[in-house]
Amino acid sequence: MSKQSDYLLASEARSINSAPFDGISHELCSRRKDVIMMSADLSKYTQLDSVKRDFPDQHLEVGMAEQNLLSVAAGVSKAGFVPVATTFACYATRRAYDQMLVCMGTSPLTNVVIGFTPGIANPARIHHQAAEDLGMVRAIPNATVIDPMDATEFGQALNAAVDLPGLVYMRGHRGNTPCLLNTGHYQFELGKTYQLRGGRGIGIIATGHATQWALEACDILEQENIDHSLLHVPTIKPVNEAEIADYCFAHEQVVTIENHQIVTGLGSLVAEIVSNIGRGPRITRLGVPNTWAPGGTLPYIREQLELDAIQLAKRIKEVSGE
Amino acid sequence: MSSAIESGSNQKRIRELKLLAAKIRRNVLDICMQRGGYAGQGVALADIAACLYFDELREDDNNWFHDRFVLSNGHDAIMCYGAFAEHGAYTMDALRTYNADGTVVDQSPIEGQLGFEITAGSLGQGPSQSAGIAYGERLKGSDKRVYCLFSDGELQEGNVWEAAMFAGHQKLSNLVYIIDNNDLGATGSTATTLSVEPVPEKFESFGFAARRINGNSIEEILAAFEEAKSIRDKPYVMICDTRLFVGIDCLQKTLPMAHYVAKAQADWQAGLAEIEATIEALSQ
Ligand SMILES: Cc1ncc(C[n+]2csc(CCOP(=O)(O)OP(=O)(O)O)c2C)c(N)n1
Ligand SMILES: [Mg+2]
Repeated sequence: MSKQSDYLLASEARSINSAPFDGISHELCSRRKDVIMMSADLSKYTQLDSVKRDFPDQHLEVGMAEQNLLSVAAGVSKAGFVPVATTFACYATRRAYDQMLVCMGTSPLTNVVIGFTPGIANPARIHHQAAEDLGMVRAIPNATVIDPMDATEFGQALNAAVDLPGLVYMRGHRGNTPCLLNTGHYQFELGKTYQLRGGRGIGIIATGHATQWALEACDILEQENIDHSLLHVPTIKPVNEAEIADYCFAHEQVVTIENHQIVTGLGSLVAEIVSNIGRGPRITRLGVPNTWAPGGTLPYIREQLELDAIQLAKRIKEVSGE
Repeated sequence: MSSAIESGSNQKRIRELKLLAAKIRRNVLDICMQRGGYAGQGVALADIAACLYFDELREDDNNWFHDRFVLSNGHDAIMCYGAFAEHGAYTMDALRTYNADGTVVDQSPIEGQLGFEITAGSLGQGPSQSAGIAYGERLKGSDKRVYCLFSDGELQEGNVWEAAMFAGHQKLSNLVYIIDNNDLGATGSTATTLSVEPVPEKFESFGFAARRINGNSIEEILAAFEEAKSIRDKPYVMICDTRLFVGIDCLQKTLPMAHYVAKAQADWQAGLAEIEATIEALSQ
């Protein structure tokens, strides 16, 4: 396991990026002329404005037609380009899953799909909340699945994605997104796990948006002198089984936190890894339960699902028996 | 009935529906001004809502509707809410929780909510479900008619055309598609994003009887509904050309392309003043 700890995080002055994908996509398109940013009538809502303005040849709009988005993208890759298909996570996965699996999942060519407003990061309950996307895509053989935690990692992961073979699904961030990682020390590498807080006691494993929530809970645990550590796992597939197993077996209790159903997501993944070895620690999976989440603002939904910082810290403490 | 008397009663009915449409517009603003919402669509679709809920859909014995209405374009629920306030199915107090944390008055409804047959919000799924309902009703020998509202944006989804092919093949003459053809999607003009025209010709080639109308003319909406009932062996589609906020000039001028209106974005008071004046004039 890598021996990093909080030096991977930016110090107090954490900045907020109000339109992360706008800058990330623009930087990528100015550097890589083979990349085509694709959208399905949501470019405004995924913040793809500057590419449309400055590199119109590198933007392709297919209208509100997500099945077509993914299959046209697969065609674009077969003509020698690198498509980055963007829409909300619910449409990228649920609406166009077969196209994703068949057209992209069986191809050796790079096909990047970004699902925005995943999990409960969308206020419109049920139809807009994709709390099963990670599970769906990690079931596709050879797919790559990445859930970045902040604007910095989002950019680095996308830069890596356009050079990977086959289907790459990643979750996107939009709107005010914190830059939590220290750009000087942090470098995204596919499959690597990152220890953001060092300690013994209870082990917390988180991914994506939920790593932000975990950090908030860790702040509370720290104030209360509760020994813990935090492992951030941005790569859901191909997952680093060895690092996760080492981490889990170094703790007596492990809690996973994800912006995803506790069925089929990160918690399930960690449990699969540990149960393959046997006699491992107990895994407590926190996230969206297997019921319909409520709608509304993110703070409200987190509170209802007991995923806000205070309730998360409380649930972690309960697991640790403190 | 002599045609003079008939046209007299028609005039009265049209006046009533215009007044109802104006009240629906007012309700839409009242609801959306609380926390933002799909105000432009609600206002623009008020004439269709008035004709649908207060004239076309037949009532049953339980103060509800005998015919079935399927809302495909979830965010157009605001049109239904504006009408339900007049109908009495919802109170304005309940409707004002629209867009609030944890409300059950969803911006895009979930199946089972009073007045809504399907979970709509993942767009483009109403045309198929309404075709399935129409098929089932016909199979049972029921005389229920099935109406489905969807949008020009939804025409970009392949699912809609699979539905149209099925409905045409099955000659579902108890099915009426109502299209909000407002040349607008989430990022702007559908003509620019991905053109959906010519809409009537497309549906005709799928076996529909199609009519393009002014979606803000009560007279044309009623005539289309009548025509739909006279067609025996085909589904019917009315392509309703509209624009956001038709009926409230000041908001149409300032927010002509606002797919969604945030609370701070609109001069709600100016809009309310204008529509109250319209209501007043129509009430004379
Ligand atoms: C399947 C699906 N894809 C994308 C979206 C996101 N979205 C919400 S509204 C919209 C535009 C739809 O066009 P239309 O219904 O004509 O919009 P309106 O004219 O009512 O503003 C889009 C792309 C969605 N809700 N469902
Ligand atoms: Mg439209």
